[in-house]
Amino acid sequence: MHQVADIEVAKNIMDANKRLADKNLKHLEEKDIFCVDFVGAIGSGKTTLIEEIIDNTDYNIGVLAGDVISKFDAERIESHNVPVAGLNTGKECHLDAHLVHHGLHDLPLDDLDMVIIENVGNLICPVDFELGSHMRIVVVSVTEGDDTVEKHPIIFQTSDVIVINKIDLADAVGADIDKMVADAKKLNPNVHVITSNLKDGKGLDEIIQVIQDKKDSL
Amino acid sequence: MHELSMAQGILNAVIDTAESNNATEVTEVTIELGRLAMINPEQLKFILGVLVENTIVQDAEIIFEEIPVEVECSQCEFHGNAILDDKDHYAPMVKCPECDSLAVEILNGRDIVVKNIVIEKPDDN
Repeated sequence: MHQVADIEVAKNIMDANKRLADKNLKHLEEKDIFCVDFVGAIGSGKTTLIEEIIDNTDYNIGVLAGDVISKFDAERIESHNVPVAGLNTGKECHLDAHLVHHGLHDLPLDDLDMVIIENVGNLICPVDFELGSHMRIVVVSVTEGDDTVEKHPIIFQTSDVIVINKIDLADAVGADIDKMVADAKKLNPNVHVITSNLKDGKGLDEIIQVIQDKKDSL
Repeated sequence: MHELSMAQGILNAVIDTAESNNATEVTEVTIELGRLAMINPEQLKFILGVLVENTIVQDAEIIFEEIPVEVECSQCEFHGNAILDDKDHYAPMVKCPECDSLAVEILNGRDIVVKNIVIEKPDDN
């Protein structure tokens, strides 16, 4: 004979990541390090923005470069003479706190005051995975189409700063920059929206300033 | 897009609990899915169906329950369940039900929880 039993499991599948994200943040704060993570689609300009921040600030920056194959971005960033740890996700579509935890151990944290995390190019999956950063910046380029912001509401609603990049190409691809800015502000009325053209440096000072302001506010 | 790793996490939790309760079979699994988790229930069910093959979970009925989205509005200070405007999106926009603002802090509705399982096990005698 068998008996039937109803068993409570109450296991939150997201908890393990959240706990590790909290641990990452605590670890960074013990070392007095500010952490910002960049999300955005493939080709939005995340790596270029990180390179510009490295070249135009005096922070002691270390970078965690995440990608399905991370060596390409990691090599680019390394050429700016900062420590870089590549985080290969293989087939996964996002970084998680576990990978970041390992990456942090590969950086010389005692020499740093800022860690920048570059997530995998994806506007969907990273939403589910906190990493332990103080600030999340989403980068979207006009070349992705001017409906990209309204098509991906949650990542824009939950980020601290929205950078609309490659605005010099808007006319060429028929993108309406004002619509993208309006969509971003509608989704996230309190967010900083910054338009940029990183090849000419437009918007860079403003991006660096909001990072500094957030760092100062902690 | 990350349904596979989520499904594996769910299955591990189910099998761990089932085995520690001496189950011979799992007949029902109830999963709470946050409305804002970037997971499609249909895809999750499909992947789970593949992963459970040849396990004690293979004949279980998978039941999804929705976790509503709880917010705090920064405009009018409303605290409670949000309105979800999902006419154009599976991933909906989250609004305050009092003042219609999108300036809300999301407090709940992003989790994936294995709530309970129904198992068969040998009689104690």
